Amino acid sequence: MTLLDFARGPALEWSLIIFVAGSLWRLVGALLVRRKRDLSEPRSRSTVAGGIRTVFSRMFPRKEFHSKTLFAVIAGYVLHFGLAITVFLFTPHILFIDGLLGISWPGIPNNLVMFAGVVTIATLVALLIRRMTTPLLKKISSADDYISWVMTLLPVLTGMMAYAHIGGPYQTVLAIHILTVEAMLIWFPFGKLFHAVLWIPSRAQMGAAMQRRGVKA
Amino acid sequence: MTINMEIFQQFAEQLPHLGEHAQPPQMTDAARVETARETFVRKLDGRMAVDLESCIHCGHCASACHFYVGTEDPKYAPIRKLDLLKRVYRRELSPLRWLHRLYTDDITVKDLQEWQELVYDSCTECGRCSMVCPMGINIAGMVNVMRQGMARAGMMPAELMAMEQEQGGHDSLFGVGPEQMKGAIAKLQEAGVDIPLDKHEADVLVTTSVIDIILFTDGLIATARIMNHLGLNWTLRSDGYEAANFGLLSGCERVQKIASEKIVLAARACGAKTVIIPECGHAYPSMRWEAANEHGGKLPFEVLAISEFLGREVKAGRLKLNTLGRDRKVTYHDPCKLARHSGTIEEPRWVLDALGVDFREVDSGRELNWCCGGGAGVFLINSASELRQQAFQVKIKQVEKTGADSVVTACGSCRLNFMNGSMRSNWDKGIESLVELVAEALPTH
Repeated sequence: MTLLDFARGPALEWSLIIFVAGSLWRLVGALLVRRKRDLSEPRSRSTVAGGIRTVFSRMFPRKEFHSKTLFAVIAGYVLHFGLAITVFLFTPHILFIDGLLGISWPGIPNNLVMFAGVVTIATLVALLIRRMTTPLLKKISSADDYISWVMTLLPVLTGMMAYAHIGGPYQTVLAIHILTVEAMLIWFPFGKLFHAVLWIPSRAQMGAAMQRRGVKA
Repeated sequence: MTINMEIFQQFAEQLPHLGEHAQPPQMTDAARVETARETFVRKLDGRMAVDLESCIHCGHCASACHFYVGTEDPKYAPIRKLDLLKRVYRRELSPLRWLHRLYTDDITVKDLQEWQELVYDSCTECGRCSMVCPMGINIAGMVNVMRQGMARAGMMPAELMAMEQEQGGHDSLFGVGPEQMKGAIAKLQEAGVDIPLDKHEADVLVTTSVIDIILFTDGLIATARIMNHLGLNWTLRSDGYEAANFGLLSGCERVQKIASEKIVLAARACGAKTVIIPECGHAYPSMRWEAANEHGGKLPFEVLAISEFLGREVKAGRLKLNTLGRDRKVTYHDPCKLARHSGTIEEPRWVLDALGVDFREVDSGRELNWCCGGGAGVFLINSASELRQQAFQVKIKQVEKTGADSVVTACGSCRLNFMNGSMRSNWDKGIESLVELVAEALPTH
C-alpha cells in the first residue's frame, strides 16, 4: 500500500468516523446537560424568534463595538471565505467529494482558488502574529489555539504545494495534503474548530434568553 | 432634591470598616476546594455547557469591559474570569472529560484566592461582554456561579460576607432592621409624609432599601408622594420591605432565598397584585427573575421596578407631570441590571420625555450602556476602590460627550458610585434620581 493509498483508504475512513462520531458525541453531550426550567414570568414569549435573530445579528458586531473589533472581524471573514473557496470551489475537491458522496457543483478557475489560498495563509499568519504579540490574546490563549491554527494552515499550505508541484514527488505531496486534511478532521471535535458547529446553538440560546427578558441581543 | 452630603460622607467613612464585622467560616483548604467544586458542578447547566464549549478566545469581551478598558490589564479579560469554572466543567461534566482530565489541572485553594479579585472586585456582572461576544456566551451569569462557589467556600470579600451574614442572621442591613425601619417611617410620618405602614390589605406592596432609609430618604418620600398622588391602595410592610439582596450579591444562595421570600410572604399577606422595587439595580432581577425559581413556582404578583412603573403610568396617561424645562440638560444612565438584564429601557425615557427636559442620549446607551463600575456589590468592596475609580473614567468620558449637566439614573448603587467617583475625580456633574424628578414634577391638586 502506498502512502497515497493509505491516505485515500483507511486513513480517510477512520478520520471521517472520528470526525462524525466525535462531533456528535461533543454536541449531544453538551446539549444533554440538564437545564432548569425558568419559572419567572417572561417579558416576551417570542424566544424562538429572538434566538434566530441573534444567530444572524452576531454575524457582525454592533457599531458601538467596531473600533475595537473590526480588524479581527474582517480578518475572520477573509479567513472563512478563503477557506470556503479553497475547500469547496476547487474542481479537484469537487470531483473528490462527488466520488465520496455523489454530489457535485461547478468550480471556479484554479488561479482564483490559488489566490484565495494565498490570502487565507496570509490572514492566518497575521492572526497568529496578533495572538502571539497582543498581551490580552496571549493571556487568554491555550494550546488549543495554536494546534487549531496548525491544523487549519497545513491543508491549505500542502494543497497549494501539491498544485504547484513543489516539495517532492506529486503523489507524495498529494498524500501528505490528504493526511493533513484528515488530521484536521480528527482534531475538529476536540478543539476550538468545533465552533463551526456550536455558533448556532450558543448564539440561539443567548438570543432566546435575552428575548425572554425583553432585550434585543 | 439633593442629598445631605454630610450624611453621605459619614456613610462613606463607615465603609472601610464594614468587613470587620465578617465572621469567616473555619474551613480547611481541602474543604474549601471541595465545596467550591461541588457548587460549580451543581450549578452548571446545559446553557453553560454549550457556552463553555464555544469560546474561540477572540478577546472581544475585553473590549466591552470597563475594568479591562480602564486598566488595559489582560488579567481582567471577562472570559478569563471563568477559568476555574471551565476547568471544573472540563474535568467533571464535559462530554470529553475523559480526555480533558489528562491535561486540565484541578482547582486549588491558591486559584480560588487569585480568582476572588476577578469575580468580585473586577466584575459587576453587568453583562456588556455578552453583547459583543460572537458566540453569545453569558459570562455574567457564570461569574455569578463562580461567586456562589466562592461564597460557600468562605472566600468572598469580607464586606459582602458581613452584609450577607447581617441580612441572613439578623434581618438587618447597616444596622437597620424592621424596628429601625419602623422608627424611620414614623419620623417621616410625623414630618407629614403619608406612608401607610403594615396595611393588612393593599393592591400594591412598595419595597425600599436600607440605602433609601438612611441616605436617599428623598427617594422614599418621593415614592410615597407619587403613590398617594395616583390614589393607589398601597403599603410598605415591616415584614418584607428590604429589596436589597446581599445573598445574590455575595453568591450566598441561602440568604438570597431568605431575602426574596420575605417579600413574597409580605405580598401574600396583604394580597398585593403588584410589588414595586425601589431604585436598586440588583433588587429588580432578584425579584423579577430569580425569586420565582427560588420560590419554586410562579409568583402571585407582578414585579415592577419603580422606573418601569412610572413609565407605564405616564404612557397610560394616569400620571400627568409638570414639565421641568428644557434648560435642564440631562442624560440617563441605564443601570445594567434594569436595562441589559431586564429590558427596562423605554419606560424611563417615557418619563424623561414627559418631564420636558433637554434629554441627551449617550453613545452606546440602552442595552449597550457602560456600567458605572459599582454594581453587584463592588461599590462596597474596599480592595476594589482603585479599580472602580479606573473603570469610572470610562463612564465620565461617555457622559461628558453628551454635554449634559446632570446624570439621571434609577439605581441607588449607581447613584452612590457616581457620587463617590465624582468626588474622587472632582467631576462636577449632578447625579439625580428619576423618582425624585417625578415627585418634583407632580402637579398640585
